[in-house]
Amino acid sequence: MKPSAGLTGLILFTVALGPAAELHFTMAGDPKTLDALQVAESHSETIRYLTGGVLLRINRTSGRIEPELAESWTVSTDGKSIALHLRAGLKFSDGTSLAAADVVRTLQRALDPKEASPAGDAFRSAAGDPEITASSIRDVDIRYKTVKPGLDHLFDQLAIIPEKTAKYPATAGPFHVMDHRPGQFVQLARNPNYWKHDSAGRQLPYLDSIRIDIQQNDDIEMTRFLRGELHLIANLDPENFDRVAKEKPGAARNLGASLDSEFLWFNQAPSKTVPDWKRKWFLSTAFRRALSQSIHRDDIARVVYRGHAHAAAGPFSAANKVWFNTAVKPVAFDSAAALKELSAAGFVLQKGVLRDHEGHAVEFSVITNSGNRTRERMAALVQSDWAKIGVKINIVTLDFGSLIERITKTMDYEACLLGFNNVEIDPSEQMNVWLSSGAQHPWWPNEKTPSTEWEKRIDALLMQQASSGNAAVRKKAIDEVQKIAMEQEPILYLVNPDYLCAISPSLQGVAPTAAPPQIWWNIEWLKLE
Amino acid sequence: MTGHRATPLRLWRRILTSLLTLLLVVLAGGFAAAAFVRYSPGFDVDENSWNPRISAATAEALQARRQQKTSLPVFYARYLRAALHGDFGKSESLQAPVAELLRERAAISASLVFTGTIGGLLGGGLLAWLAVWPRQRVLQAGSASISGFLLAIPPAVLALGFFFLQAPLSLAVALTIMPRVFGTLRALLTDLRSSSDLLTARARGIGPVVIAWRYVVGTAAPQLASLGGVALVLAFGAIIPIEALCDVPGLGQLAWKAALARDLPLLCAIALLITLLTAVVAAAGDLLSGSRERNLA
Amino acid sequence: MKTPRRVAWIVLSVVCLAAVLAPWIAPYRYDQQFRDFPATAPGAQFPMGTDEIGRDRLSRLLYATRVSLALAPAAAAVSIVLGLGFSLLALSRARWTREALSGITTLSLSLPWIFLFVILRAELPLNTDPATSILLTFALMGIAGWAWAGRVFSASLRSLAGADWLLQARASGMHSWRIAAVHMWPHLRSIALAQFRVLIPAYILAEASLGLLGLGVAEPLPSWGNLLKDLQHPDTIRANPWALAPLALLMLVMICLEALGSDTNNEVTV
Repeated sequence: MKPSAGLTGLILFTVALGPAAELHFTMAGDPKTLDALQVAESHSETIRYLTGGVLLRINRTSGRIEPELAESWTVSTDGKSIALHLRAGLKFSDGTSLAAADVVRTLQRALDPKEASPAGDAFRSAAGDPEITASSIRDVDIRYKTVKPGLDHLFDQLAIIPEKTAKYPATAGPFHVMDHRPGQFVQLARNPNYWKHDSAGRQLPYLDSIRIDIQQNDDIEMTRFLRGELHLIANLDPENFDRVAKEKPGAARNLGASLDSEFLWFNQAPSKTVPDWKRKWFLSTAFRRALSQSIHRDDIARVVYRGHAHAAAGPFSAANKVWFNTAVKPVAFDSAAALKELSAAGFVLQKGVLRDHEGHAVEFSVITNSGNRTRERMAALVQSDWAKIGVKINIVTLDFGSLIERITKTMDYEACLLGFNNVEIDPSEQMNVWLSSGAQHPWWPNEKTPSTEWEKRIDALLMQQASSGNAAVRKKAIDEVQKIAMEQEPILYLVNPDYLCAISPSLQGVAPTAAPPQIWWNIEWLKLE
Repeated sequence: MTGHRATPLRLWRRILTSLLTLLLVVLAGGFAAAAFVRYSPGFDVDENSWNPRISAATAEALQARRQQKTSLPVFYARYLRAALHGDFGKSESLQAPVAELLRERAAISASLVFTGTIGGLLGGGLLAWLAVWPRQRVLQAGSASISGFLLAIPPAVLALGFFFLQAPLSLAVALTIMPRVFGTLRALLTDLRSSSDLLTARARGIGPVVIAWRYVVGTAAPQLASLGGVALVLAFGAIIPIEALCDVPGLGQLAWKAALARDLPLLCAIALLITLLTAVVAAAGDLLSGSRERNLA
Repeated sequence: MKTPRRVAWIVLSVVCLAAVLAPWIAPYRYDQQFRDFPATAPGAQFPMGTDEIGRDRLSRLLYATRVSLALAPAAAAVSIVLGLGFSLLALSRARWTREALSGITTLSLSLPWIFLFVILRAELPLNTDPATSILLTFALMGIAGWAWAGRVFSASLRSLAGADWLLQARASGMHSWRIAAVHMWPHLRSIALAQFRVLIPAYILAEASLGLLGLGVAEPLPSWGNLLKDLQHPDTIRANPWALAPLALLMLVMICLEALGSDTNNEVTV
């Protein structure tokens, strides 16, 4: 009798506690670092988001800033400083207390040039680093010499770090890292000292743990989801999305246009391998516009993305409601107009081959990264569209390392098809793309001086928006940048893919949005039924 | 007789030379792999250089951290010295000690490779036997067709199919090896069937099992050993696409990831390992055939 | 009974003929995109359906056969000739030559060749004519793959070198080239054919993986390799079983080669 009584007790005990709620999903690669200040790529960013405690958080659905570790904050009226007031009794996951000194140390380390912290970059200012002081155990003041636009928004990305470094650092967010086997999985456990409670007084997060498997193969990921082994798939490709929609209709979610964009550009930088006459084409606005006009963007969205994408209109996705210039429209397909513009620029179409005024046939190579089905198909569509106006392109797929070397170091390429994953809606994220001196200024990185008048104008507008605290002034400047970008087309924007994901109905409390991290931005409130 | 003392001496000398060659080959293999990686495009490139959210100064600092400061020979010499103490460096892409990564993953791959090789050899042997021994056209054509059929399926696709069917992946490795040893095994068996030894043995009334055994350890031993070695190396090659595509956390997947990330310390260790395996297999084959040559003499 | 052999010859000839005549018998151009019919099921207009961007699968298969069936056997032949050459050299009496050659074979078996291809891609201009790029890729594959054949040849040559009949032949004063031609070749030939059959599909498939590095057959040209790559996505097959056609064709060719091979074997030995 006794053992059975014990067994009943055990069963009752387990029922009372409920089964351990473990969220299960996958990432395509390993986090390169668990140090919140060194985070540079998306996998580490996911871990930082799930584990890091931040002072303020942007609510991904409302776009408003909400208090986290900081209970309250005030940005000075001149836009140069911010005062933050921390909650009482904050603790890291290892039990050590979190106070103003930790915030100061985190920021100082982030700004230390020796640390080379990507997290610190957002806090830098052309006029010099800010002065950071702890006026009390719970108060921090940050003061810049000049206006720092969007000062409060920056704290969404800054996780406060503990003094003690460790293989798995202590955190102040909802979870902390328990185990990481490179190439296999990352295991997160709930932070027993997390400050947040629900209205009933229950400590958050609701989930006990998260297991993130490192899984590169999308098809396997989808099969595992359909088998019920995974609770969600962040970022489905269009084909797999359609499959999930068919087999588990309630699970497939299309969140509409994402902030990401796919685009193509020509190498305008001086290069040993690009002949002068080719570079002349690439430098010609008429050439770029005509080629852009002869791309059938709607076909790309319809055929390659199976309808789950929208023709793009410039550097900002229409999903970016705050900064997108609604006056800017996607380039419409019109090959007749394209040919007219080309002939005005001295090009002639002879026996199906487009030639420039010196008689060179228009033929060049387009590189893109290999292993991306969607991009390879997009390239095939562009190839076929351009063949119709007598332009021949050779598509070369390269592994990512070789591709990056060509477009950033050796400049040994003619045109490139690639995309950017935009994480933030603020234009400051695209500064390095559009400033002529920017390292990611795709068509001509690190220009010493702007090579054209319109680039000079863009530089001026960008500097203006970066130094203004006035939202209307900033918006006006960014609107003009978008207009110039569409007139000059140094980058041929193709599409903004929709954000496609799959969420198991057993996962409760999700409020997915187009802004990253789309699914788990409110991770502490998620429940498994 | 007289060879009583001379033979062991010769054998020792032979083993010593083999070991020396083996060492040289392994060292050269590691160095060649390191040189390939070091001078292949994309080696010095940090992926962050294409991340617009990182400032130029930070990107430069990150790049500087990554850049190889020493020349390749110096790097290799230091690497080998550390390796002698069991330290294979730290993987740049996975941020973990190489030795730990190899240890964690060795078991999965070893079981895939060994069961795959043995399964493949047995399967190939069976298929070859069916093709040769019963002297039946149907079986001959049938076994050849099965082999042709298996040769045509990409290993990774085969493995993926097994994954979706929830079948063991080692079977996929075995099916990859099977047709690749089938041809040689069939040729060997055909040789045996027509050999004069067989006819004499049969005439003497020796049973088929004994004949087969004598053949395996005698005439065909070097070829079989060599084939077994090739199968082992083939299996090691096959697990790279299989593990990479099916997300199996083994050495094959590690090798693939290391190649894509141009992870020098990790690739060096893997190259040393693969060269060692190949060289040991080759040396074993050589020694075996050597001892047989002596027996004949 | 030579029926299987005859059938194999007929099938292979039909496949080769279809490949040669592709421009005339294919319903469409291999790169023609019917964008209103992406991934359609087989029907009157497209006998095997279309791929994801609306290209006719049958036409692509026919053109792919040209590329793969012409070049993979050539590359395999290169490997076999090189392998055989090396293993003949390895028969040399000089001990150090033997050791060195065996070392070189081991090295080439274990080198990460993929980087050689990465380097080749970097050295080739991006606008290299597709034909040149394909040829170079297959040539390099042929060269890189010699060691496989070499190992097997070496082993069988060693066992042949110790065989009684060879000693007798030597004793009877036959010249070594004559011995090689008269006695060794039949044995080597069956091994060479076996290797040939193993290497052909290996190169056809390897070509597809090299697409990852920007080598081999690039868009929009089809090859068996890049058509087979589709099979890595189970959905493709689910949507249209004709996606398996390239695999079926490759299998058919392999089975025919086996059938031819097994018959020659019997002739040699019986």
